[in-house]
Amino acid sequence: MTSVEQASPPPAIARQRFLPRLRIEHALTAGSIVSLMVLWTLLSRYKLVNPLFLPPPRVVWNSFIEVLTVGYQGKLLHEHLAASLGRIFAGYAAACVVGIPLGLLMGLNTRVKAVFDPIVEFYRPLPPLALYTLLVMWLGIGNASKIALLFLAALPPLSISAMQAARSIDTGHIRAAQMLGATRAQLFRHVLLPSCLPGICTGMRISFGFTYTVLVASEIVAATAGVGWMIWDASKFLLSDVVIMGLFVLGLTGLVLDWFIRQFERLITPWRFA
Amino acid sequence: MACRLAGCRLAGFRLAGFGIAALIALIALVHGASAQTPSKVVIGYLDLVSAQLVTKALGLHEKEMGLPVEWVAFGSGGDLNRGVAAGQLNFGGVGNPPATLGVSRGLPYKGIFVIDMLGPVESLVVRADKHIDKPQDLVGKTMAAPFGSTTHYMTIAYLRSAGVDPTSVKLLDMAPNDAVAAWLRGDIDAAYVWEPALNKMVTNGGKILMDSGSMAKAGYPTWDIGVVMDDFVTQHPDLVTKFVKSECAAIDYWLTKPEQTAAIIAKELKLPLDDTRRMMAGTTMVSCRDQIGADYLGTSNHKGKFVDTLVATATFLTDQKRLPKVEPRESYEKFIEPKFLETAVGQ
Repeated sequence: MTSVEQASPPPAIARQRFLPRLRIEHALTAGSIVSLMVLWTLLSRYKLVNPLFLPPPRVVWNSFIEVLTVGYQGKLLHEHLAASLGRIFAGYAAACVVGIPLGLLMGLNTRVKAVFDPIVEFYRPLPPLALYTLLVMWLGIGNASKIALLFLAALPPLSISAMQAARSIDTGHIRAAQMLGATRAQLFRHVLLPSCLPGICTGMRISFGFTYTVLVASEIVAATAGVGWMIWDASKFLLSDVVIMGLFVLGLTGLVLDWFIRQFERLITPWRFA
Repeated sequence: MACRLAGCRLAGFRLAGFGIAALIALIALVHGASAQTPSKVVIGYLDLVSAQLVTKALGLHEKEMGLPVEWVAFGSGGDLNRGVAAGQLNFGGVGNPPATLGVSRGLPYKGIFVIDMLGPVESLVVRADKHIDKPQDLVGKTMAAPFGSTTHYMTIAYLRSAGVDPTSVKLLDMAPNDAVAAWLRGDIDAAYVWEPALNKMVTNGGKILMDSGSMAKAGYPTWDIGVVMDDFVTQHPDLVTKFVKSECAAIDYWLTKPEQTAAIIAKELKLPLDDTRRMMAGTTMVSCRDQIGADYLGTSNHKGKFVDTLVATATFLTDQKRLPKVEPRESYEKFIEPKFLETAVGQ
């Protein structure tokens, strides 16, 4: 009890030390973003870059408004976004459901690892587009092949991080719990799982970021909606303003979704953020 | 954390100095290299049945220009446009819809000779067992066409001219070879593509509903035009003339020696000879002498009908919201550059 009181500094000092650092870092972030925007505006205002490659910010903003209100090739922005996010969630959720338990098992049981590790390690470095051509041949041009690609892309970081987390459990904790008479179920729920959760959460964030990058590849062949498809289609018609706008949409929604995952992390591993 | 070591700032300057010197050297090297004879010529081509396959097989460009040639294949004009935007090519070939796109987007190229006038070599193939006998039957069906190409344009023109709303057909953007795979799997009911991909669909339960020859007669001509980059013209105009000369020689070869041409194309595209002859009959080669006539590119003083086709195509695509607006006629006239043909033909 006393050690806890001594460990956390008095609130007033903690606030003082915390706030100044926060202000400088926020200022740096804002400054970095603002200078990039200024650079972009200057490059296009003084025609230093071909407007075909880098349209001015105003043009990109206009295309954002247009796709938001009028649509791109018959579908509004939110419909494209819904199509893409639907695919990502389906693939990612399936990968979580399959990958995390698989990774834990692989970490806890060397025989399971021997069976599945070669498969995962083999296909992991393969470029997604190459895998995708095979998937389209097997699963057709509909959503099945796209979700399958996203699933395959999301799986390795999840299973590997879960496996590593399971293998790095402190055996001291296990022995202590066993000494106190824990059953296997209690061991799993109170020692193994909480130890692994931080590693699993990190894996989830990495996996999500990676799945996101594969989205455009999955929407190249025979899609009719989706932000990745919109970017690919616009590039065929050299509409770089739509391409850049689409990239911004993907980037910003990615940031938002990553924030949600971090909040989820705080929820299930609150002891790391005390 | 600021760098506190004493030599750090000096080292930083030295590093920056090296970096800038290296950059200058690199720029000088690249710039210097391009001003003299190029080390090789990069030609983008569409994988379809044309006399360029003869040029490629017989090595005519290597012989005429005396330089190594790198041939880069593209699935459609839209893809080739992207390669042009990326600065990857010296020469290329596009259909009239991608050409209007290029003019609209200010792509730095000029059309210098006619690759082909498209006929039945590009056709709309439908599944024979789906009872699709007229354009209205396509409503609700799944159809593939490479977006931004001649056949995409033909698909929409065909549907619109029959009073069918193109959005009522599930139109998918697929390169011809991807469309073949989808056809064989049964994922699509129709496709508007060109040979040799077309043949693979026809022989697997397909029948032809419409072709570009009939569409041309109905007032929607399509053709492929050879293009050259503006900076290549500025730096090596003599090579451009040689390029056109070789292509003209290949076209003459096609027109005067059809059997040998068929053999060459059959080998290049790995097709049986009969199919090759049929495909050759489905496209029209225009001799260079005729190309400077009023029906095609025209002369430098009086550009020909190709300008009208470009304007009509642009108007159509603008209607379809694929282009922001129709450029003034001068832009399309500027794109058509017959002077290399004139030199090659000896006018």
